[in-house]
Amino acid sequence: MKSIVVSSAIAALLVLSGCGDKDPKVDGSVADSSVEQEVLQDQAAQEVAPVQTETVSSSEAAVMSDSGAQETEGQAMMRIEKELLTIYFDFDKFNIRADMQENLSTDADIAKTKAKDFSIKLEGNCDEWGSDEYNFALGLKRANTVKKSLVAEGVNEGRITMVSFGKSNPVCNDKTRECWAKNRRVDFKLLP
Amino acid sequence: MKLLISFFITITFTFASDATIEVIKRIDSLPSLAVEDSSVSYDETLRSRFFKSLIADLNVLSIFNVDRHHRKVNYDAGSVLVENKDMNYVLRYKLSQDDNQALNVEVKMISDDKAVFNKNYKVNNTNVYMFVSHTIAYDINKFMGEAPVEWMKRKVIFSRMVDPQKSELVIADYTLTYQHIVVKGGFNIFPKWANKEQSAFYYTSLDEKKPTLKYVDIKTGKSKVIKSSDGMMVCSDVSDDGSKLLLTMAPEGQPDIYLYDVRTQSSKRLTTFGGIDVGAQFLGKDSIVFVSDRLGYPNIFSKNLNSGSVEQIVYYGKSNSACSVFGQYIVYKARESSESFGNNTFNLHLVSMETDFIRRLTAVGINEFPRFSIDGDALIFIKSYKAQSSIGIIRLNHNKNYLFPLSYGKVQSIDW
Repeated sequence: MKSIVVSSAIAALLVLSGCGDKDPKVDGSVADSSVEQEVLQDQAAQEVAPVQTETVSSSEAAVMSDSGAQETEGQAMMRIEKELLTIYFDFDKFNIRADMQENLSTDADIAKTKAKDFSIKLEGNCDEWGSDEYNFALGLKRANTVKKSLVAEGVNEGRITMVSFGKSNPVCNDKTRECWAKNRRVDFKLLP
Repeated sequence: MKLLISFFITITFTFASDATIEVIKRIDSLPSLAVEDSSVSYDETLRSRFFKSLIADLNVLSIFNVDRHHRKVNYDAGSVLVENKDMNYVLRYKLSQDDNQALNVEVKMISDDKAVFNKNYKVNNTNVYMFVSHTIAYDINKFMGEAPVEWMKRKVIFSRMVDPQKSELVIADYTLTYQHIVVKGGFNIFPKWANKEQSAFYYTSLDEKKPTLKYVDIKTGKSKVIKSSDGMMVCSDVSDDGSKLLLTMAPEGQPDIYLYDVRTQSSKRLTTFGGIDVGAQFLGKDSIVFVSDRLGYPNIFSKNLNSGSVEQIVYYGKSNSACSVFGQYIVYKARESSESFGNNTFNLHLVSMETDFIRRLTAVGINEFPRFSIDGDALIFIKSYKAQSSIGIIRLNHNKNYLFPLSYGKVQSIDW
C-alpha cells in the first residue's frame, strides 16, 4: 500500500516536473517562490506569536513576583489613596460645605482604619482667579480646615502634613464654572 | 442710501480728525527723534530685531516722539537722511561683528547736523543684543538730563508654569526678550532677588517634604537651604541692605508673616490673626504693608512693628490680594467686578500713605504681579487680555504704559 502511494507520488513528481520543463521557467519559479514565501510567513507567524506572548507574560509574572514583596505596601497605599474623596470648596472660601461633610466623614473613617499605617498629606488647591501669595494661603487654609475636621473625628494630628499649590496644580483647564469648581479642592495623598 | 453712506463718511472723518488733533497736540510737546541704521554685519533678522528693541526702549523713555521708520544710511554720511531733516534728533548706529565674534555697536546722536553724543558698545554674545539697546537708551536718557532709568539695565527674575506642579525659574531683561532658565525641573516658585546687585536670589521649592526656601548665588551657581515650613514658605520681601527678609510661613497650618534675620538665622512672628496674613513688604524702617482677610475679604493693611497697631490702607476694591511698596507709595491689585465666575477685571491702583488720592494705573483685563522698580520710577506687571499675555511697564511720572507681548508660559511670580 505504502509503495503504491510512494510510487504514485514519484510518478506525480515526474509528471509535474515534466510539465514544469514545458512551462516557462519564470512562471514556475514565481509560483515556487510565492509558495515559499507564504509558507515562511506562516511558519514565522506561528513561531513568533507564541514566543512573544510567552515572553511577555513570563516577564510580567517575573516583575510581579520579584517586586511583589516590596510593592505590596506601596500598592495598597495607592489603592487606599484612590478611595479617599476630594473635598471641594466655594469661591474664595475655606469652610467645609454642608454637602462635603459626608465625604469628609468617609475620609476620616478610611484614615482611621485602612490607611492607619500611613501619613496623610493634604494638598490645597485654588481656581485660576488669583495667582499670588494670597491664593497659596487660601489653598493652605482649605487644607487646614480639612486637617482640623479629621483631627476632630479622631485622626492623629501627627500623621497629617499640608502643602498648598495655589492655582498651579489644576485638574481642569477649561474656562467654565464646573471646571473652576473642580480646581477649588483639597486632595489626599498617602505617604509611607 | 448714498445719502446715508456720505453721512457716515462725514461723521467718521469729523470724529477721526478730532481724535488726531488731540494726539498730535500731545505728541508735539515732545522732541522728535528718528533712528538711522548703518549696520555692516549680520543678517536682516538681527538688524531688524535690534532696531525694534532700540525703538521700544527709546519709546519707554517717554521723552521723545520716536519715528518708527527703519531707514538705512552710511555711518559716516555727513548729514542725516532727507526724510529725517526735520527731526530734532537723529540717533545713528552701526552694528559690526569683530574677529572674536563680538557684537560692536557705534552710536552717535545728531542734532542740527552736529554729533552731540558719541559712544561705542561691545558684547561678546550676540544673543544679549537687547542689553546693548537698553544701555544705549539709558545713556541717551542721561545725556538728555532726565532722571536716571536705572531699572532699564536691571534684570527680572520670574517663575513660569510649564505643567501642573512643574515650573522653571527664568532671568530676563525688563522686556522679557532675553530669557535664561536658571532653575529647571521640579516645582520652584516665588523667586526674589536677594540683594540690590542681583547677584543672588531666593526661591521656594515645593519638591521637598516641606515647602523650603532656598538661596542661589548666581556667580558660583551654588544653592543652599535657608528654612522650611509645613504648609507654606514664601519670601515676600528683602530689606534694602539684604539683611532681613519678610517670610510667609505656616508651621501650624496658619499662614502668618515672619521677620527673618539673615545673619543670626532667627525668625520672629509678626502677625497672629487667625485668618490669612501674607505678602508683606517693608514700609520705612519700622512698618510693614501686607495682605490680610481680616475683614472677610483680602485687603491691604499696614502694621507698625513698634506699637503693633494695624491700619487699613486701602478703601477701594472688592478684593485686593497683592501689593508692592516704594517709599510712601503702594500699588495694589484690585478685583473690580464681583463675578464669582466669568471674566473679572483686575486693575492696578496707586495710593500714597500721605494722601487719600487713588490713581488707577490700568484700564482693562487682568493686571497682576505689580513690582516697583528699584528707584520707584517705574512699575512692572503682567497683563492678560483677550488671550494675550504681556509684560507691562508703567512710567509713573510720565503717565504712560508700555506693553511687550509674552511668547509663552504662565508667569507664576515675578521680581525686578
